[in-house]
Amino acid sequence: MIKYLLKRIFWMVPLLVGISLVSFLIMHLAPGDITTTEASFNPKASEESRQKLREIYNLDKPVIVQYGLWLKRMATLDFGTSFATHQRPVFWQTIDAQGNVSKGMIQDALPITLLINVVSLALIIATALPLGIVSALTQNRVPDRAITMFVFIGFAIPGFWLALMLMYWTGVVHDWLPISGLHSLGYENMSWFAKISDTLRHIFLPVFISSLGGLAGISLFVRNGMLDVLHQDYITTARAKGLPENTVIYGHALRNALLPLITILGLSIPGLIGGSVIAESIFAIPGMGKLFYDAVLMRDFPVIMGILTIGSALTLIGNLLADVAYAWADPRVRRGIAQ
Amino acid sequence: MKKVLANPLALAGFAIIAAILLLALFAPLIAPFDPNAIDVKAILLSPSPQHLMGTDGLGRDVFSRMLFGARISLLVGIVAVGIATAIGVVLGAVSGYYRGWVDVAIMRLVDVMLSIPTFFLILAVIAFLTPSIWNIMIVIGLTSWMGVTRLVRAEFLSLRGREFVMASQTLGATDGRLIFRHLLPNSLTPIIVSSVLGVASAVLVESGLSFLGLGVQAPQASWGNILTDGKEYIQFAWWLSLFPGLAILITVLGYNLLGEGLRDALDPRSSNATSKK
Repeated sequence: MIKYLLKRIFWMVPLLVGISLVSFLIMHLAPGDITTTEASFNPKASEESRQKLREIYNLDKPVIVQYGLWLKRMATLDFGTSFATHQRPVFWQTIDAQGNVSKGMIQDALPITLLINVVSLALIIATALPLGIVSALTQNRVPDRAITMFVFIGFAIPGFWLALMLMYWTGVVHDWLPISGLHSLGYENMSWFAKISDTLRHIFLPVFISSLGGLAGISLFVRNGMLDVLHQDYITTARAKGLPENTVIYGHALRNALLPLITILGLSIPGLIGGSVIAESIFAIPGMGKLFYDAVLMRDFPVIMGILTIGSALTLIGNLLADVAYAWADPRVRRGIAQ
Repeated sequence: MKKVLANPLALAGFAIIAAILLLALFAPLIAPFDPNAIDVKAILLSPSPQHLMGTDGLGRDVFSRMLFGARISLLVGIVAVGIATAIGVVLGAVSGYYRGWVDVAIMRLVDVMLSIPTFFLILAVIAFLTPSIWNIMIVIGLTSWMGVTRLVRAEFLSLRGREFVMASQTLGATDGRLIFRHLLPNSLTPIIVSSVLGVASAVLVESGLSFLGLGVQAPQASWGNILTDGKEYIQFAWWLSLFPGLAILITVLGYNLLGEGLRDALDPRSSNATSKK
């Protein structure tokens, strides 16, 4: 098991290099760089000064050389500084000679996105499980039909549209919930309890929006998994030997139906991270999605590359955790790994 | 085909898609107004018999814009999925048929692409290129071929071991004949199902991009950008935000129903037990 783990972690390195190479090439093959945005707002910027800017940022070198330089800095976890926002460090805080702390952009944004995604995942699991089980147990009857309908609508509803409608309904018409940002004014002076409830009120809608798609997908998945398992021979055996129906369903069927769910949850991470762009832009939440959107508009290469790398690394870690959890939950898989 | 039409899901999906396709196709004939005609005397009118879905901030008829927007959404969805399917089928076929190092290389590339949060990648590329519907189609296509690749590869791997393929091989069939006469036709069902479902997600991605202002650009109408315009007026003109969202919802629902229905009807191994009865 330990050997398997080490091997998996070791494999993440070439995979990450591959991911960063693909992202880097795509980024740099597209026309336009920071000088076409930043300098175009400044009428005094001549072609000469733009060229100078490019030299400072190494943008005049061939793409592969730039990638080499970037990779070399990455080896020491140096994500560089932003081109656009006052040279803030991309990843983690730096302290200069005068002792001034300059906080990292991803350092600020990542916990916010993680918070929203972790709460979303918890909500997805807590709701999708019962929905899927009920759906499977009442197959083709009214509850199943209703849940399936909800699933299809959940798949099809555009998140940003629902966000807009809910924002209008709960925030403008009724004033139940705050419509943007992460904290209210005067957040610093609140008691810790008020702080938590304030944050929860702010992330309620974003969490709801970002879990809806996953909710639909996972309940359908649980339903189909349960139905598959319920047709297996060992379930018939369990019933035949007179076990109570509850033991059959929750003891025998559910445990086996849930196994593949672990992998699916691991695979849903890039979607959740990607989906944060829309939710965060609509609700003006300063997370990774918003940061990425702003960076893209400014053609801020170091920030774009930093977020793509961190996002991909999170995905890989998520998949690894899912596989480890799978092995932990299923002795058959564990034995397969050991061999 | 009979089985498909007997499946209520597939039939409902098919009806929705057909209706929207017809509306989009005959948009110039159906639309009561020029979708880009500005009328300052008719700004933000609420829905009425004359303007079925009201008018927007520039006095343009929303119903007409929605009809022309349907063309964009469907076109982007279908072309993007066409690109993705073409790439996926070629790579998956090569991977599953020849195996060896080509297979390893292609599968590692799939792993890499699947680990990058796709929407981030699409957003980055679109923002660097000039946003146009052609760029959007290409970029969505280039970032969504991985599922089909895995699917085709898995089908090829399992089909290659079957008797009829080995028989044909023993009779001296060429690689090309094996791939195009035997393997590909037998892998068609999952490819079709995943393409239909793919259109649904491409429509959602396009509308999301347009909503963020990086998709189809004004004055060309798309459901996403009608919604973005409507966002500004949400307090006085609900119709600007409601209709485009509903249109996207119904279209995506249609493709999903059709895709799931096709899967049920065509695939005897389908895990969805409605077809088992």
